[in-house]
Amino acid sequence: MSGHISERLKKAIRWRKQRTVPLNDLFVRFQQILEQNNTALQLIADMEDKLGGEYVFDRKYLEDAVANIQEAVMRSAVNFNFICDNKHLDIYGVVEELNKQLKQELAGQIVIPSHEVILTFGEITAAMKEAVGNKAYNLSRVTTLPNADVPAGFAVTIAGFRKYLAYNNLFDRIEGLLDSTGKDGRTVEAVSQSIRLLILGGDIPPDLRRDILRAVEKICPGNPEAAFFSVRSSAVGEDGEMSFAGLHDSFLNVPFRELLASFKKVVAGLYNPAGLEYRARRQVPHTDLAMAVLYQPMVACRVAGVAYTIDPNAPSEEASLIGAGWGLGKVVVEGRAAVDTYRVSRYPPYAVIESRIGEKQWMVVLPDSARSVEVPPELRRQPCLTPEEVVRIEETVLTVERFFKRPMDIEWGLDAEGRMWILQARPLGIARGSRGRSPELKAVMERQTVLMENQGVIAYRGIGAGPVWPVDDDESLDRFPSGAVLVSRFAIPLLARVIPRASAVITDVGSPTGHMATVAREFRVPTIVDAGVATEILKAGQQVTVDAERNVVYEGRIDGLLHHQLLERASFETTYEFQLLRRLLRRIAPLTLIDPESPEFTAQGCRSFHDVLRFIHEKSTLTLAQIAEDPGFLRAHGGKRLKTEVPLNLILIDIGGGLDEGVQKAGWVLPEQIRSQPMKALWEGLGGPDTWSTRPIAADFKGLMSSITRTQSAAIAGQSLAGLNVAVLGSNYLNLSLRVGYHFTVVDACLGPQPEKNSIFFRFLGGATDITRRSRRAALLLSILEKIGFKVEGKGDLVIARSTNSTLEQGWDYLYLIGRLIGFARQLDILMTDDTSVNLYFERFMAACHMCPGGPYILKEGRR
Amino acid sequence: MKHKTTICILDDEPIVGDRLKPELEDDGYEVEVFTDSASAVRRVGETCFDIVITDLKMQGVDGMEFLDKVKERCPNSQVIMITGYATIETARESFVRGAYDFIAKPFRIGEIRDVVKKARRRVQKQQA
Repeated sequence: MSGHISERLKKAIRWRKQRTVPLNDLFVRFQQILEQNNTALQLIADMEDKLGGEYVFDRKYLEDAVANIQEAVMRSAVNFNFICDNKHLDIYGVVEELNKQLKQELAGQIVIPSHEVILTFGEITAAMKEAVGNKAYNLSRVTTLPNADVPAGFAVTIAGFRKYLAYNNLFDRIEGLLDSTGKDGRTVEAVSQSIRLLILGGDIPPDLRRDILRAVEKICPGNPEAAFFSVRSSAVGEDGEMSFAGLHDSFLNVPFRELLASFKKVVAGLYNPAGLEYRARRQVPHTDLAMAVLYQPMVACRVAGVAYTIDPNAPSEEASLIGAGWGLGKVVVEGRAAVDTYRVSRYPPYAVIESRIGEKQWMVVLPDSARSVEVPPELRRQPCLTPEEVVRIEETVLTVERFFKRPMDIEWGLDAEGRMWILQARPLGIARGSRGRSPELKAVMERQTVLMENQGVIAYRGIGAGPVWPVDDDESLDRFPSGAVLVSRFAIPLLARVIPRASAVITDVGSPTGHMATVAREFRVPTIVDAGVATEILKAGQQVTVDAERNVVYEGRIDGLLHHQLLERASFETTYEFQLLRRLLRRIAPLTLIDPESPEFTAQGCRSFHDVLRFIHEKSTLTLAQIAEDPGFLRAHGGKRLKTEVPLNLILIDIGGGLDEGVQKAGWVLPEQIRSQPMKALWEGLGGPDTWSTRPIAADFKGLMSSITRTQSAAIAGQSLAGLNVAVLGSNYLNLSLRVGYHFTVVDACLGPQPEKNSIFFRFLGGATDITRRSRRAALLLSILEKIGFKVEGKGDLVIARSTNSTLEQGWDYLYLIGRLIGFARQLDILMTDDTSVNLYFERFMAACHMCPGGPYILKEGRR
Repeated sequence: MKHKTTICILDDEPIVGDRLKPELEDDGYEVEVFTDSASAVRRVGETCFDIVITDLKMQGVDGMEFLDKVKERCPNSQVIMITGYATIETARESFVRGAYDFIAKPFRIGEIRDVVKKARRRVQKQQA
């Protein structure tokens, strides 16, 4: 470790020899990077806010917003290369490539990056519908929902499809054949036949072949050669608003050796006569034709069937229909044999209104899905489903419906172990009106008691209803019931875990640009934030309807309003501008570069502007820290030592307004001479009397651990003196790098009166002990940081926590707590000998900071 | 039956009318939507709307001209200007020319509903 540091020192000295740029210029550039990054992140958050549906925005807005972000990113990249002496010129290429893709998207072209030839369900995000087709897209969304298991799967994307056609030189030949339709008496059938033969005769490019087989192994680990698969078409538009459903070929029970041939068969199916005619009638241009292919292992179902979340023949009767038969779902889907049918209430406790038990003669079971076999006589008149199973199916399919905001047609199955699987999910073909709320509905609503009106801001538009479930501690969070209305004082990232199960979310405090709101939009949960009084007005268990279109909360459940959302009003999400926004954001907002220690943490690894900003921030912070590591060098440039009892060798550099003006001449400063807001806040915690007590644990614990404590704390005190620590201060800015013991901590914070300019970044890494103990400590830090309101990421012993847009008071508390945490954590890894210690120290820290251990995790009033 | 408050929306981006029409209809207004200023001008020649919502920057007749035409023919119409190029100057100019209010794009649906509600009160006061 010490070798590592001296290497860095050498580097810093080398750097000093190479460059003659004044240190102040570097800091000015660095501050510009911070400002530009903040601007860009704010613009990104604003764009994401538009996903909530409450804003009316047009194309011009999208063009302007993209241009503004591009400008901020580009300026940041230029300043970054100034700081690091042009060592990262490749970042320009990455930015250029993203700019190109954004330009294409804005011009109406759908861009699918060439590295996305194959995507597993877990890799498919909300903006990738056009890449994987509707069938794969819908199922990938279901995989993110609670209680809904989907067999693992992957899609060969449109990019893979195009790769296949290009490799076999098929584009022009298919185009020519399509154009010849109708000429010289060429029928659609003849054209279709010729194209399909061309496709079936092609070769799969070797890399695509390899990628498919690799992905098969991923979704079916162990012995894929012995498994059977479904290989299905997933065309763009299919199973979506335009229904191509059933026009394309799908293959069930495909053995391993036929997986590649099936790819060609499914692709060829795109050009079957029915599909060609359908598209000709709808005037879908041929150039837009593309087919993704979905692979999944077969599930050996004991019982399977179909569920319609709303009875299409009686939509107003609040009932779902479930059809069930023995074995695979084929019998039920094809409707050619008698099955069981259940009519189930759409509302808890999901009573069965009517059940018709059919005389089930035939079923299909694996391994031979092509043939029907006779149902054993004793099972024929027996209901396929127990009452409990009906409830489970109903609950799950309603969760799926709540997400899609449409009545759904869902294929499900139960395997021998009783596990429930979702096999297909598509909107039910009920024509949707575009009517406003009817006079009858308005009359019903006028009679309803209004509990809250125009309180707060809508973060995601929609209607949700259910019992109020206040979340104010760990227990209420863990026990959150599916379908309840989540009510919380704060919109903290911690809530993200249960949001997919909520029918609506209301918080007293919070911002539509915060992380929790982003999650609510991702899961399409109607959400109102900053509502002020929700936790006072809404009582636990009370039934409410949240109208997050008009910003009203009603007492009771208004079925008509829920129906209106499902059946009458096309979602704002179907508009072109909204979909374009989502596709644009795909190049802008996702953060995939998380671990700075990973080999992918490079300019080339950046997949979005957010990645680029992250990369620039990380690298420029480190570059500055490296430059600033030589104390002599620092003092020559105005660095001052902080005079304090605390065993920290901390050098402060003022880049404007960070220190009292009276300290110019002296080589040291006192803590009370610090003017930097974020440093003052941090120091309140870091320099506090309890933080650095040589006894790391409270008195009642002393007896148990005294021997360890004595020896370890002495060693730790010695280590921390040797650390080399630098803080760069501005009036509203702090960049702190600390080497305390063997840990490397970075705090980068902007804190001032304007919340939109405030941000806190905290990184903690390293330690003297083995990786297990260090990871335990990381787990502890992550859980503390998450509980007090940070967005956290961690891997191994790395801890990253972030917060944006906090108020001055809140940000102050956060930095105070981080200060305490740095002191608290410095020797924890040594003490954390087993996993139970994580909980123990968590309680201890919370108690030391006067927070209730069960939550809510906020500092008590009057602490200061 | 009581007369419904009528609204004319003019914006060359169809999304604006598409999103606003159902929302305002839910609030009980009668809404007509136009995406080209020529047909909106023609329609205003036929009838006076209680409230007019218009984009500022458009091809052909722009929002400021449209405002003039509306005010000339229907002085009692309340005109709300919307635009993506929000500057104090344009706002001030549209007020001088008789606009009722000014909203910057992109805007929240709740925001425009409030402005429209206030404009309706003004209309009703004038009619009383």
